[in-house]
Amino acid sequence: MKASRRQFLQSGSAALIGLSIKGDRAITGSFVNDSFQLGHHLRDRAQFPAPKQTDKRSVVIVGGGIAGLSAAWRLHKKGFTDFVLLEMNNQPGGNSRWGENEITPYPWAAHYVPVPGPKAVYVRELFEELGVLKDGHWEERYLCFSPQERLFLYGRWQDGIEPAIGLTAADRDQFRRLEDHIHTFRATGKFTVPMEVGFSDSTADLDRISFAEWLRAQGMNSRILNWYLNYCCRDDYGATTANTSAWAGIQYFASREPEEKGPLTWPEGNGWIVRRLMERIGYFVQPNRMVHRISQTNKGASVFSGDTEFRADFVIFAAPTFLAPYLIEGMAPLQNFDYSPWLTANLTLDRLPASYGTDPTWDSVFMDSPTLGYVDATHQSLRTHIDRTVWTFYWALAEGSPKENRQLLLTKDWNYWKEAILHDLERVHTDIRQCVSRIDIMRMGHAMARPNVGAIFSAERRTLTKPHGRILFANSDLSGFSIFEEAQYRGVTAADFVVSKLGGHRISR
Amino acid sequence: MGILLFITVLLIAACGLIYELIAGTLASYLLGDSVLQFSTIIGCYLFAMGIGSALSRYIDRGLAYRFVWIELMLGVIGGCSSALLFLAFAYTQGFQLLMYSLVVVIGILVGLEVPLLMRLVRGRYHFRDVVAHVLTFDYLGALGASLLFPILLVPYLGLVRSAMLFGVINVLVALWSTFLFASQISTVRALRSLCVVVLCLLAVGLAEAKHITAAVEDNIYADEIIFSRDTRYQHIVLTRFKDDIRLFLSSHLQFSSRDEYRYHEALIHPGLSAIPAPRHVLVLGGGDGLAVREILKYPQIESVTLVDLDPEMTKLFSTNPMLTALNQKSFLSSKVHIINADAFPWVDSNTDSFDFIVIDFPDPTNYSLGKLYTTAFYKAVARHLSVQGLMVVQSTSPMFARDSYWCIAETLKQAGLQTFPYHVYVPSFGEWGFVIAGHRDFQLPASLPAGLRFVSVTGLPAMFQFPPDMSPLPMPPNRLNDQVLVRAYDQDWKDISH
Repeated sequence: MKASRRQFLQSGSAALIGLSIKGDRAITGSFVNDSFQLGHHLRDRAQFPAPKQTDKRSVVIVGGGIAGLSAAWRLHKKGFTDFVLLEMNNQPGGNSRWGENEITPYPWAAHYVPVPGPKAVYVRELFEELGVLKDGHWEERYLCFSPQERLFLYGRWQDGIEPAIGLTAADRDQFRRLEDHIHTFRATGKFTVPMEVGFSDSTADLDRISFAEWLRAQGMNSRILNWYLNYCCRDDYGATTANTSAWAGIQYFASREPEEKGPLTWPEGNGWIVRRLMERIGYFVQPNRMVHRISQTNKGASVFSGDTEFRADFVIFAAPTFLAPYLIEGMAPLQNFDYSPWLTANLTLDRLPASYGTDPTWDSVFMDSPTLGYVDATHQSLRTHIDRTVWTFYWALAEGSPKENRQLLLTKDWNYWKEAILHDLERVHTDIRQCVSRIDIMRMGHAMARPNVGAIFSAERRTLTKPHGRILFANSDLSGFSIFEEAQYRGVTAADFVVSKLGGHRISR
Repeated sequence: MGILLFITVLLIAACGLIYELIAGTLASYLLGDSVLQFSTIIGCYLFAMGIGSALSRYIDRGLAYRFVWIELMLGVIGGCSSALLFLAFAYTQGFQLLMYSLVVVIGILVGLEVPLLMRLVRGRYHFRDVVAHVLTFDYLGALGASLLFPILLVPYLGLVRSAMLFGVINVLVALWSTFLFASQISTVRALRSLCVVVLCLLAVGLAEAKHITAAVEDNIYADEIIFSRDTRYQHIVLTRFKDDIRLFLSSHLQFSSRDEYRYHEALIHPGLSAIPAPRHVLVLGGGDGLAVREILKYPQIESVTLVDLDPEMTKLFSTNPMLTALNQKSFLSSKVHIINADAFPWVDSNTDSFDFIVIDFPDPTNYSLGKLYTTAFYKAVARHLSVQGLMVVQSTSPMFARDSYWCIAETLKQAGLQTFPYHVYVPSFGEWGFVIAGHRDFQLPASLPAGLRFVSVTGLPAMFQFPPDMSPLPMPPNRLNDQVLVRAYDQDWKDISH
């Protein structure tokens, strides 16, 4: 239907007037959740107070990310109540922390869980308890709504992130061949989630070369394919294919075969799971409790935090494992644990940018960008009308060395990163500066474990998965990479070990 | 005298630019492609001004007399240009020819103005000052015109009257010039009389311009637009042709007052009459109050809760006399409770129970609306059904969007409901489909409210029969994480429009 003449002329003149007053709006914001000051205290061996009081527990969990919370969930399920979880930050969740403003809750980092396969039994158990999985069916409102993902390339949007337009016959052939390889690897049953279930020495060769080298050896030189695989590695590992073990590259694809169109996601990302876990075991969680020393004897271990000494039979160390040598007396420095620095930003949009080509999706990715794009926090809203939203923008600093990138994160100010983010978005949303009112930025120096060549099969990693005296390591980095299922698996198995050692007599206490 | 002279320059510059802007705007509006229209019009206009300037050297004598004539001609031609172009577009094939002719003629006349004026005042000032002042005021006039045009003239006067107004200004300049250059004109009196006559004619035109616009618009649009508003949620347009009122929401036809009774009787009565003693009814969508009008035909009903997103919509249908006549003031009934909210979150958080639930949303044209046609939504709605309760869903056309229709029926089934699909013929829509659903069996009602114009007890069984060209198709359900319906609906309409 045609618009009326008057309307046309009014809107035309409005545009003319608008042109004269159009300008970029002021954008506020700051760095948030910075925790590296605390970490640097540890690194620099700062002086900490001597203990004034002791607190005896059967188990002390260090670290309130998914691994620590899962250990607590498991202990509690097994009837344990004599334990405490010490969290350094004021908010638990680790990489699954979330925030909330007047528009919507939003994630600060991890924002989804792929629909778990049959081997992820603990994840399925948790999701059944949380009502995500009911009678064998995944709850519809927790599955990512349509349309899920889009990719901006050649000046337009396409559905899905895997490039599908502008491919040559050679590109298509290489995509198909990779799929065949993945299919073969998957059929071996050695690439699983959690990785420990199918882990086999027969795949060790793949850990001796990088994913990029493996791809070259297969004759896969398509630029488009390599962009896509680089994107996948940056997204899950914070590293490029050249810095990712071929084993980990293949694991990314071969370990999953979704039984339902997913992934599982919530407005606050995996913060939703943290909230549900906190409803159950929040009582045991002590925030703002930085641990500065752990010592152990044959009979138990002591965890020092503030002026309190926690004496425990067992310690579950669920914080990132690279911190352990700084805390645990007598522990040698680690050689094979490397981490990727990340930056995430939450952008408050008071109006939505013009979007051509597709309906707005949950995840939006831009081809050939150094960033990972953004996720829309209101996508999982049941509302039909949405005129304000929050975007979570992800940027794994994957190019170059982690150390230098950490330095860059620390030295550049908020304005620098704000501009870098807006420049990236502007290539796709030219009107973004008129839409955004606030940008909060979170810097994480050691955001995710980096599966470098040799890291997965390193003796060091495999040793740390076994008990270290009275201390059990439980962070997801023990798997070589940081994903929800690995964190949960490590936390649950550490708790199970403790329960098996302490037996039932502690339950009655 | 100096300043008055230069104000003359300012005014004629403004007039010239306004005619050009009017031509460009009109052409963009009527023909589209504003870049092309504005570029070609500005080009032709400037070129014609060049011709005018070149021609000025051939005018030797009677400069003042000819200047006055040029102003008069500009006043008449420029003043009527907009009206002429509108009429040409509405009634002839020669719009573009006329438009470019007018642009060229006006351009030539404007091109003559300044050179003549500069020569007229040559003796009174230094040449250096003349050039500086004349050009300064010329450009000032252009600035004024270009600001006035979008901010005041177009919104408040419209194109026809703006042109007339500036025509009047040109003629006033002509009249004024007869005083300014009185000594250089021999036939001053005759010229002044002519100016006054033209002035009167243009003044009448200015007053009557509304009728010209109306006549032209009626010819361009089939139906008169009687209401048009952009709300926060949608674009509401009402049109009227004789006794037919039509509502469009974001360009999609919602009803035609000539046959909407067919749609709304079919939506409500087969389901509602099948419930033994309905007391509480919920309507989701339906902000026009027409479904509520049908529901109020059951005196035993105690409450009707209507949830519609757009407060402007329910307000319009509660207050506008023409529309309340249509819905028989249904929204003013004390039984009716209007809630302006997004349906899915409302359904999710509310705990009331209803005997009959009407789901009457716009078609699933995008993923946002598609959420209101999913298993998750229908499950949430079904929790509000009382033991004897039934719901009915507007389900697009089983004829034109056959995949979509059966997809909606399947979605209701997968939400754990028994389904009873039916269809009717609504002339302004074509074949249209609904689905009754509930936790129980459904029997055709044995009686209906008195006074229905379309649905009858004897006619009911046929509505539940589907001929082969509309018969069920196997379709997957529409789910939040896999909205097959939106894609199917898009494809269905593509198929019939190609």
